[in-house]
Amino acid sequence: MLSIQNLEAGYGKVQVLHGISLTVPKGKVVTLIGSNGAGKTTTMRAICGMVKPDSGEISLNGKRIDGLESYTIAKLGLAHSPEGRRVFATMSVTDNLILGAFPRLTGSRPKGDVAGDLERAMELFPRLKERRNQLAGTLSGGEQQMLAMARAVMLNPDIVLLDEPSMGLAPILVEEVFRIISDLKSRGVTMLLVEQFAAAALKVADYGYVMENGRISVHGEAAKLRDDPAVKAAYLGGGH
Amino acid sequence: MNRSHILFALIGLVLLATAPFYLHNSYYIHMIGTIMIYAILLFGLDIVVGYTGQVSLGHAGLFGVGSYTAGVLFFKLAAPVWVILIASVGITAVFGALLALPALRVTGPYLAMVTLAFGTIVQILINEMTFLTEGPLGIKVPKPSIFGMKFTEDGFYWLVLALMALSALVVDRILRSQLGRAFEALRGSPVASDCMGVSVYRYKVYAFVVSAGFAGLAGCLYAYSEQYISPNTYNFELTVLFLLAVIMGGRKSRLGSLLGAAIIVILPKLLDDLSLFRSVATTLAVLMAVGAVVAISKKIATPRNMAIPVLGTAALAGFSYWLTAITDWRLSIFGLMILFVVYYLQDGIVGFFRNLLFRKARSADADAAFDTQLDALHQAAAGRNAGEVLVAKGVLMQFGGLKALNMVDLHIQRGSIHGLIGPNGSGKSTMMNVLTGIYVPTAGTIAFDGDSVVGRTSSDIALSGIARTFQNVQLFGEMTALQNVQVGLHHTFESHFVDVALNSARYQRENDASVQRGLGLLHFVGLGEFAGEEARNLPYGKQRLLEIARALALDPQLLLLDEPAAGLTAPDIKELIAIIRKIRDHGITVILIEHHMDVVMTICDEVTVLDFGQKIAEGKPAAVQADEKVIEAYLGAPAA
Amino acid sequence: MEILLQLVYSGIALGMIYAVIAFGYQLTFQTSDTLNFGQGDALMLGAMVGLTLVNAGVNYWLMLPIVIVFGLVQGSVVERIGVAPAIKIKSEFGWIMSTIALGIIAKNVAENIWGRDDLKFPSPLPEAPMHLLGANVLPMEILVVIGAVAMMLAVEFFNRKTIYGKAVVATFNDRDAAKLMGINTSLVITFSYALSSATAGFAGALIAPLTLTGATMGAVLGLKAFAVAIIGGLTSGLGIIVGGVILGIAETTTGFYLSTGYKDVPGLVLLLMVLALKPAGLFGKTAIKKV
Repeated sequence: MLSIQNLEAGYGKVQVLHGISLTVPKGKVVTLIGSNGAGKTTTMRAICGMVKPDSGEISLNGKRIDGLESYTIAKLGLAHSPEGRRVFATMSVTDNLILGAFPRLTGSRPKGDVAGDLERAMELFPRLKERRNQLAGTLSGGEQQMLAMARAVMLNPDIVLLDEPSMGLAPILVEEVFRIISDLKSRGVTMLLVEQFAAAALKVADYGYVMENGRISVHGEAAKLRDDPAVKAAYLGGGH
Repeated sequence: MNRSHILFALIGLVLLATAPFYLHNSYYIHMIGTIMIYAILLFGLDIVVGYTGQVSLGHAGLFGVGSYTAGVLFFKLAAPVWVILIASVGITAVFGALLALPALRVTGPYLAMVTLAFGTIVQILINEMTFLTEGPLGIKVPKPSIFGMKFTEDGFYWLVLALMALSALVVDRILRSQLGRAFEALRGSPVASDCMGVSVYRYKVYAFVVSAGFAGLAGCLYAYSEQYISPNTYNFELTVLFLLAVIMGGRKSRLGSLLGAAIIVILPKLLDDLSLFRSVATTLAVLMAVGAVVAISKKIATPRNMAIPVLGTAALAGFSYWLTAITDWRLSIFGLMILFVVYYLQDGIVGFFRNLLFRKARSADADAAFDTQLDALHQAAAGRNAGEVLVAKGVLMQFGGLKALNMVDLHIQRGSIHGLIGPNGSGKSTMMNVLTGIYVPTAGTIAFDGDSVVGRTSSDIALSGIARTFQNVQLFGEMTALQNVQVGLHHTFESHFVDVALNSARYQRENDASVQRGLGLLHFVGLGEFAGEEARNLPYGKQRLLEIARALALDPQLLLLDEPAAGLTAPDIKELIAIIRKIRDHGITVILIEHHMDVVMTICDEVTVLDFGQKIAEGKPAAVQADEKVIEAYLGAPAA
Repeated sequence: MEILLQLVYSGIALGMIYAVIAFGYQLTFQTSDTLNFGQGDALMLGAMVGLTLVNAGVNYWLMLPIVIVFGLVQGSVVERIGVAPAIKIKSEFGWIMSTIALGIIAKNVAENIWGRDDLKFPSPLPEAPMHLLGANVLPMEILVVIGAVAMMLAVEFFNRKTIYGKAVVATFNDRDAAKLMGINTSLVITFSYALSSATAGFAGALIAPLTLTGATMGAVLGLKAFAVAIIGGLTSGLGIIVGGVILGIAETTTGFYLSTGYKDVPGLVLLLMVLALKPAGLFGKTAIKKV
């Protein structure tokens, strides 16, 4: 569904990604893990168009999307729950969710049943249902994370990108977030999950890629990676 | 200034000085005189616009203050000319300080609006305070007399020429000195300026005051030159013309200011003569079309981006034939010129030719010989406290509901290398910003060498011995590597405005010393050969090293490094580790934020770990690496 | 006392005009971090176009929507020529100078088409003053207040109830996240400039019957409206109404008790003071620097 070949990207003078390749098959959950500064978020940004790649190819359902604007990529069916949540703070929870369906409501994507999907989203995220008219900026970190994920799902996307959903959340909320990701997985949603917390990510994913210094150092079935010492080394330095 | 520059300047001066002899028309002499008067104002305006990078829409107002100081002193007090000259400069400078006050805390469009409001208020006051200024009636100001003799037209012209040359010299000296570097630093990165001990507030005021002084001088001379002043001259259109002149002529250049002045004086006269304008517009359109064809065939430009200039000039030529009187469209022409310059000629005419003809102009300083034996890095001051150089207790930094730092204690031993690590968002950079005065902590105490840091300005803290580098590189891009380091050396200069203007012995000594030390510091971090290179052209890894050299120029007791290894290759990292060790060997204490665990483990004596703004572990590197809580913070809880 | 109340009424009407112009500044600043230095001239163009239409026999009430459409087009042109290229090359100096330049050109064109003198704009409402709470108020002044409030409410309605309006608010909040939703933010910015000029032009057509209409009417208005926008903190709608009314009343009273020449001074001094003391405005929030 999503395929990346030899992606090189960076910010101005700084090259962060030195040739990344990965694939996300339909219906699977793939995770990209690694320590800070490894380039995980840059990879996500390159995929969704926030950063223009220097070279390499990114394809969604066979169609090249590298170099396109974020809003065009969204209309093609790629939803992104960004690092830091980035909900629309002065708008209500309901409005945030409705905006997630913007391409459906303005003719860029098949409309489907937006009102119905909105209700279903509320069922999936009960905390949001309680706060449907509350301003998104007043929600707690965990609730904002739910909102960002629900908003992404409202697109009726082909694939969802989740960028560090656990960041800044207390452990009990992290558990809840991963429970929801598990639930989405069981409904067949294709996902690419970037995480700093390797343990939880590898538990929910089917396949994993480990990034170090802008390159993929190790990859394989998530179950096998869980016990691989290379993973720990990627975070806390060698010799461990 | 190098040899050829001085030669050209002398030739120019001679040509101008002898003009009354070969140009027998007093109309042209008066016109050249006006150009030189405007140029004096533009030299000053360039400091604000070209160097500190702010848009000032109030200079017509300052010009007016200069003119009216002259007019009022003459009319009411019959003051002698030398009093009027000095008073015009002085009083306008005071107005410049008044203008700077509301402009202190704002930048960009806000500052532009402040200056616009100021200019408008000045014009209203001149118009309304008829008891002082005669209001719309205006004031007649005859040519001044000296020793009883009245200045002739030619005599006054020579006076203006002399003052213009003097102004050019003074402004040139100021801008080449540490003052000029401070002004440029304000544009490059205000945060870095403050953290290098160059107070943004103070230098902003200086820039406006100096600029106003020149505007005042120009205003005074203008009053004598025109022999009549009235309020409606000093309006918004004039201020926009001044800006057009600076950016079209070319900023950061005395020649640019002269050229710009010539353009704005000659152009309206050109526009008054319709047939002349038609010929000029047609020639311009033809030249542009030819130039575009050449550029496209040489692949310097594409048809697309040549389309607008070609069509635009052709339309202008066509328009000129349709019109019966161009004078009325003067302002639209100026508006179009501004649009053109802003998008197509950003460096002005002088800048355009400079880029075209001179590949790399190396500044003389960068090539100066220097003593390789001398250790540029001074031993850190012993300070009062031999034990702990920095003690932070209970630091709380709250942004709204978010506790970025939650009751953090930090004890930094003098002469150690202390690591500060933690996952994304744990508060490491916030701590740096609190220690350097960028944020004021919500609660807690921080004592550096016994003195509290809380509530002091960044520049004050920097000057008392804490230096830093930044996670997102904050160099002064348009200055060379050497000049960047010299900004860090600003604190070594006791010379002020007068020393610089007179090129005193003290200033020359201090300047030479700063070049020597600057080169030395560059060599220390391995950037010796890049001394004359513009900072923004350096590769990323070298930029980060340059930040370290600049920070060391402050002669700090404590150096804070924010992710120095980010973006560096493996051999660069080895070099970095060696540099940090040498820094420590000079007695300078180092706090290091880093994600590269290898670096942290290799050189740190002690490591503090933050997570969610709280300290979760502290100790020797190996112990911290094995700590369960730390592993959990980075990798997440083990599979439940 | 009666005179004072009259001055207050006039001040409120004037203040609402400032608020509408300031509203325009807020719109573009929130979506793009830029503003139109020629905003006052957009108001002037609206008034002049309105005058031409009315003099050609078009009914005043029919003229208003035409002026709004004109404003939409004019704003889009300013954005495409002056602002979009500057945003692309990330040059603040660029859009500041280009919007100034476009404003100058607008004023010059107006001078050439309509002449340099001030013109009388025929009032659609009877010019006889009405009595309200014991003081005189012109029917036109009441219309101005109603018109300004109606305009701002209409935009609010658009923002809250339509999907496109919500897209605009989303762009205010977080431009990058809005793009992730499939929203074309550069179109949103063009639209915000179009709307901003349209509201200014509408304000011009409203205030024209009350003051002298001429090519120079826009300049100082734009500057004083900026003061109001700053007081409102560039993000608060209520703030600009309060700020506008305060300024309007300050001006009408100064103009009467001091001298008309000085009437522009309170606004300008207010601008300087607010920027000197509290640059984020009385209602705004200070942005946190991130280094």
